Amino acid sequence: MEDPQSYIESGILEQYALGLLTPAERAAVEAEAARHPAIAQELAAGQLALEYYADAHARELPAGMRDRVLTKVLAQVGSAAPVASASLRADVDALAQPQSAPGEAVVRPLAAATPARRGWAIAASVALLLSLIGNGWLYGRWQSADHDLVALQEDQSRLAANTMVVEKKLGDARQQNAVLRDAEFRFVALAGTPAAPAAHARVLFNAVSRRVYVDVQRLPAPPAGRQYQLWALNKGKPVDAGVLTVAAAAGERLERMKDIASAQAFAVTLEPVGGSATPTMPIRAMGTI
Amino acid sequence: MSDTLPISPSTASEEDLVQRLRARDESALTLFYDRYAPALFGVISRIVKDDDTAEDVLQEAMVKIWNSFPAYDAGKGRLFTWVLNVSRNLAIDKIRSRQHRVGTRTQGLDDSLAAQRLPAAESFRPEHIGLKEIVQTLVPDQRQIIDLLYFGGYTQSEVAEELKLPLGTVKTRARTAIKLLSKLIR
Repeated sequence: MEDPQSYIESGILEQYALGLLTPAERAAVEAEAARHPAIAQELAAGQLALEYYADAHARELPAGMRDRVLTKVLAQVGSAAPVASASLRADVDALAQPQSAPGEAVVRPLAAATPARRGWAIAASVALLLSLIGNGWLYGRWQSADHDLVALQEDQSRLAANTMVVEKKLGDARQQNAVLRDAEFRFVALAGTPAAPAAHARVLFNAVSRRVYVDVQRLPAPPAGRQYQLWALNKGKPVDAGVLTVAAAAGERLERMKDIASAQAFAVTLEPVGGSATPTMPIRAMGTI
Repeated sequence: MSDTLPISPSTASEEDLVQRLRARDESALTLFYDRYAPALFGVISRIVKDDDTAEDVLQEAMVKIWNSFPAYDAGKGRLFTWVLNVSRNLAIDKIRSRQHRVGTRTQGLDDSLAAQRLPAAESFRPEHIGLKEIVQTLVPDQRQIIDLLYFGGYTQSEVAEELKLPLGTVKTRARTAIKLLSKLIR
């Protein structure tokens, strides 16, 4: 085979990362990457670059989209809801079936009837016709009741899912409120540094219980591969207080960080994902107690 | 009181997410959404150019990711790369079936070239530094080619044909652009 460098130069790795190869070509590239670390490294770098490119196009999500998408996705992957409505439909169909059967069973040839019995036959035909019309009407009612039931059941499961989401949010909000009202917590405002002038966050620090919560007002979205990390400064020394989740960095909720025994100030830096043992990047926001 | 505060694990790491998805833990889908939806929605809406369609595609992508998760091989690449490709392919399938209905392929390319010339949509987060850095790093020619390849669903030969460029030039620009992006991260 060609040497790894000219393989890399051929541009096939970029085609792989851009998703332009057939499954067979992909498998061939993966085999080369498995054989040559240089190729694997180059391939990973290209994929990471496109992750970064994709992430740069990240958007604010439209209001209400989270609940809509999650409810639909959970309904599709979950087994409970579809089974319930399928069995309901089967029940309704089973009930609807025998209704049309008696009508058909009564049909007999009228030609063989004697004149004396003709009156009865006509009466029976009229009765049969009425019965068929009645059955047809009832069947129509059944069908629409079936549809209504299925629609109502879907509404109900959607409402139940919404209620669960709302209850969970309410519980979270109550508990966050309890922290905010606790007089033991001190509020430390973190202001943005020149590296991130718009940054603004608060730390809630309870010196007795040693609890630390972070409450982000505004932090620029971290680029791919980076994550915000909180530091407690104790006698000038930075102590790791944990990394911020995506939701916390976006200011969606109060987040509990690592317990801190003693601190005079708090600071935030942008570290590689997973955080660092000591700060490696410039401070983005800082505040003293 | 505060003892019962539901504390999210300090990081929903990718490994943790992969494990939970593999264990068919449905709550992982919420974590997945919080972590990846902004980027996936950004990419999908860039491809399908309509927010309602993009929301549908995102939802389809999440169902597909859940259903075909056993096919994900962490040894072959990161989760984000995999989910980006699943979402991108669904979005591209969507516009291809639409273009098929509306008319020719060329028309689609013209549309996406026109979209290139527009200033960045205001729906992009203004404080988001990534896009700004990219605009500063890539020259328009490079960016156009990456956008057509990544967001347009075109092959390199199709891009070469439409832009009346030699295939070699398209390949070189794509390669240079990805190299420059790599440097931006390091």
